[in-house]
Amino acid sequence: MAEVKWTSDMSAALSLAKSEGKPILLDFFNPG
Amino acid sequence: MGAVTYPDSRVAEFVVSRMIPVQLLFDAQPYAAQYNIKWTPTMIVLDPEGKEHHRIVGFLPPDEFVPGLLLGIAKVSFDRDDLEGALPDLERIISSYPRSAAAPEAMYLRGVVQYKTTHKAEPLKEAFEQLKRDYPSSEWAKRAMPYGLL
Repeated sequence: MAEVKWTSDMSAALSLAKSEGKPILLDFFNPG
Repeated sequence: MGAVTYPDSRVAEFVVSRMIPVQLLFDAQPYAAQYNIKWTPTMIVLDPEGKEHHRIVGFLPPDEFVPGLLLGIAKVSFDRDDLEGALPDLERIISSYPRSAAAPEAMYLRGVVQYKTTHKAEPLKEAFEQLKRDYPSSEWAKRAMPYGLL
């Protein structure tokens, strides 16, 4: 079963998005 | 979102296959300021350059979130003039999630994509007729009203 594996490294995500040609899902959350 | 929507298998499979997921605290700088975050949850669809194309503010259940993300991805394609890339995602929203909040906008945008592809007015008129029939109270039916005169 798939599971969303989040990163908090925006620079790495942008690089990965460019290499894979995928858009980014950017989620801002409040844990409180 | 973390308790209900993201653990849902349909959402997880969609995000894993189609997107690069990034999660940040609401006050994480410089991004909270860059994307003007004022409430949570806020979910933004960015292109690979980091440019925003679609924003969802507030909780959405899985059956609304997947079509919402599809619309965001279609907007990334549309805004980058990849009309052929946008069309399948718009069609999927309309056919697989016709009751979702994203469906009327997808129907509108499909008409625009088909117009820009064919340079013929018929798709715009058809979009208005379909919106008037299927989503008569939506804002997108109102936005398409001028196309009924074509």
